[in-house]
Amino acid sequence: MEHFIYKINGLSFHLDTIFTMWVCMGILILVAFLMTRKVGLIPSKGQIIAEKIVGVFLDLSETMIGPDGKKHVPLLVSLFLFILTANLSGQIPWRLYHLKTGELASPTNDINMTMAMAILVLVYYLYQGVKTKGLKYFLHSFSPADIITALIDLLEMVVRPFTLALRLFANILAGEILISAFIGICAYFLPLPIMFFEVFVAFIQALVFTLLSMSYIAISVQNEH
Amino acid sequence: MEEVKTVSEIAQVGAAVGMSFAAAGVGIGLSIAIKALMEAISRQPEIANKAFVYFIVGAGLTEACAIYALLIAMKVVGMMG
Repeated sequence: MEHFIYKINGLSFHLDTIFTMWVCMGILILVAFLMTRKVGLIPSKGQIIAEKIVGVFLDLSETMIGPDGKKHVPLLVSLFLFILTANLSGQIPWRLYHLKTGELASPTNDINMTMAMAILVLVYYLYQGVKTKGLKYFLHSFSPADIITALIDLLEMVVRPFTLALRLFANILAGEILISAFIGICAYFLPLPIMFFEVFVAFIQALVFTLLSMSYIAISVQNEH
Repeated sequence: MEEVKTVSEIAQVGAAVGMSFAAAGVGIGLSIAIKALMEAISRQPEIANKAFVYFIVGAGLTEACAIYALLIAMKVVGMMG
């Protein structure tokens, strides 16, 4: 990508992505701290909102993964909230990090960020599959049909995180480029409809990432017979 | 005066044709999904909210296919990516 400032110490890092990622993490930690200060039986307003969000994912995971789906909820809710905050922070008119060629401001418009999250989900569901089913997770028996199934599963193991990462990255980056192109035409009120649509896309892409991760975990943990 | 990067003409034609086919495919696919949603809601109006959630998730997945094509088209034209 042409915009990213990077420092080379043998490797190259995209410093602006790292900085905006830390700002989003800081916002999330601050909001979580403020919401859970006084946890009691009579909930305060912040606690009601937090309980609703976590409650939705608890119900969904019990439906999709089964009775012990509750232990996967922390990862899924963290993914959802972080991706939502990261996508929305590109639509807020602040200037976090000034680049030479303008401002593309979400951390998720970098393929490295989304690929890191997708690889995290991959490692997590492989670990859960092996923990639940042992090494039979990869290969049921040595008949030819099962070997072909195992090869297809291996292919899917490569393709799934790639599509997860690419979907989120492409949606957010395409929206930002569209907005920057419209700013080039007429910066006053022309990008507004696109920005409303991008807020909608931010919610949907966070939900799609989380629901797909949940269904991959469900597939790898459930016994099918 | 900044220099303007130009790509070959066939690259621009290729990007346009590719993106149009992708948009046509996604348009048809999403219309089928909307038809199914309408029929489901008209049979059983009380599942409207649940069906809408599943529809939005499915639409997000389908729309991503057109966005893949958009990404490749942008790379071919040399705009970004």
